[in-house]
Amino acid sequence: MTPEATQKFQALEDQAHDLMSYFCGVGFEMVAPSIIQPADVFLDAVGEDLRGRTYVFTDPEGSELCLRPDLTIPTCRLHWDRCSREGGTTLAQYCYNGPAFRFQPSGSRANTHPREYRQLGIERFGDRDREKSEIEILSVIVSALERAGLRDYTIRIGDLGIFHELLSAADLPSRWRERLRAHFWRPEAFRSELRQMTTKPDARIEGLPPELLSLIRGQEPLAAERILSVFLDEQGVDVIGTRSLSEVTESLLAALEDAEADALPEETAALIENYFQVAAPARAAGARLRDLMQQADIDIAPALDVFNTRLKHLSDTPIDPANVTFSAEFGRTLAYYTGFVFEVVSDMLGPESPVAGGGRYDSLMKMVGATTEVPAVGAMIHTERLLSAVSEAGNG
Amino acid sequence: MGNALMVLAVPSKGRLMERTLDYFADAGMDIRRSGSARGYRGEMPSIHGVEVVFMSASEIAAALHQGRVHMGVTGEDLVREDVAKPDETAHWHAKLGFGHAKVVVAVPQCWIDVRGMRDLAEIGFQFRRRHGRRMRVATKYGNTTRRFFNENGISDYRIVESLGATEGTPAAGTAELIVDITSTGATLEANGLKILDDGTILESEANLVGSKTAHWPPEVRAVENEVLGKLGL
Repeated sequence: MTPEATQKFQALEDQAHDLMSYFCGVGFEMVAPSIIQPADVFLDAVGEDLRGRTYVFTDPEGSELCLRPDLTIPTCRLHWDRCSREGGTTLAQYCYNGPAFRFQPSGSRANTHPREYRQLGIERFGDRDREKSEIEILSVIVSALERAGLRDYTIRIGDLGIFHELLSAADLPSRWRERLRAHFWRPEAFRSELRQMTTKPDARIEGLPPELLSLIRGQEPLAAERILSVFLDEQGVDVIGTRSLSEVTESLLAALEDAEADALPEETAALIENYFQVAAPARAAGARLRDLMQQADIDIAPALDVFNTRLKHLSDTPIDPANVTFSAEFGRTLAYYTGFVFEVVSDMLGPESPVAGGGRYDSLMKMVGATTEVPAVGAMIHTERLLSAVSEAGNG
Repeated sequence: MGNALMVLAVPSKGRLMERTLDYFADAGMDIRRSGSARGYRGEMPSIHGVEVVFMSASEIAAALHQGRVHMGVTGEDLVREDVAKPDETAHWHAKLGFGHAKVVVAVPQCWIDVRGMRDLAEIGFQFRRRHGRRMRVATKYGNTTRRFFNENGISDYRIVESLGATEGTPAAGTAELIVDITSTGATLEANGLKILDDGTILESEANLVGSKTAHWPPEVRAVENEVLGKLGL
């Protein structure tokens, strides 16, 4: 190592040591999840895109493995190994510190986006006092950052639960609701889907054989499936593969229903789009959300209560609420979160490189083996970014 | 090796090789295999400073990206598949008008409800709900597939790497759909598959490609200019 690299290594070690002692001191158990992980869990949780960003490889036994791209899933697996008999619901909280690996294109961002970075974080499982535990995790992370010397920063929060409640409350066919939920993670595809529902709900039947459609229209699924089977036979089409004819039938009937459904009212589409525009200081955002829903005559009181409960818990912490911004759009590109999300942005590094982030991910334990969702909240610190934010601030 | 030579990679077998040799011969640059007839080295007597190597088309794509050869003839599909940002390492000199093929998304013909990529997005999450796993796409074009599916807003899928007989995987039950190369589509059809309306990812043909990552001292650059000049490029 060059003297400079040694110096940085030592500084990171010292910083990590301080942060870890702090987490242990406030009741988190130190754990060291495996660096080599089965690729499958990550691919299921995040999807194929992961392969483009992760070091995936096959070992001599033919197992597909990866170098962990973050430590949250490895910590879930560790928790599952320990507590599978209780279904993973045992109350536990962990802290960890170690390397994680993500492919980054070679180039100028190497300083804030290294391929091998040190991630330090905390995770809490099984706490049913939801909002309280979310704010506690946020507060522990913010205190840790302050102890490490971070001064000028802002906190951004979001809540994926509000969107889901908004969809449930809005008047639209359940199939469309499901489709919008599926596209939620891809804002562009979501927008084009929403547009199609308002303008051309019948787009999916265009080009389907009209004679087949008229035969199955209004039929029960089983009868429709028999008709489809005869139709394919007459066309000389073999039925192959694992996707069954009943699935094809279900999809055809859904397309027919869509074509006969009224288009999504413009106001509903506008409400959903306006919701994603909401970005304001947390308190003001609460009021704005309430106004927005009242105007549209939509009742999402439980989600707004949750929002306010969090603000109440926030006022019990040293965090200045004026420093907390709510953004409805935030969280849409972070695969596995299910509710509350937050990140801490330093003035020095800006929003492209948050120094810490976290949130609620209740469905992750299911992906590592649990049969039901397990309440889980966690957060992680990008240690290299934190170090550069505090040392550059010191120099400047 | 003494003086720096320009390394030209030529496909080592089949129609692709014959057409490539014709292409250079038509421009007055005969290529001869040196040593035994089955050797993997060759020479181009009409130009001073060229070393010819014979390689498989996919090996040529990799060698161009890594800078192990200066110039080569291979399929666009292979050059695009090999790395994340092919245009940063490959210089596209010319399309050669042979080796035509398309990289396409193909699904079972009995999926009568699926005609385009949009339908695929729709059934992707239905499939996941019903089967408890993502639908599998068999392909040897993993990078190309990921890019294209991503552009089309499809995330509920898994790639299954396939090194041969990809078109048989849906019937065999080891994948639900495929991304593969085809020239006429006849093989796909014979396997009960159809190409999606907007499922053509790439219309590929043989290309003359330069490597941006190879070492290009002035004398090698001069040889390149001479070859390109004779080819009228």
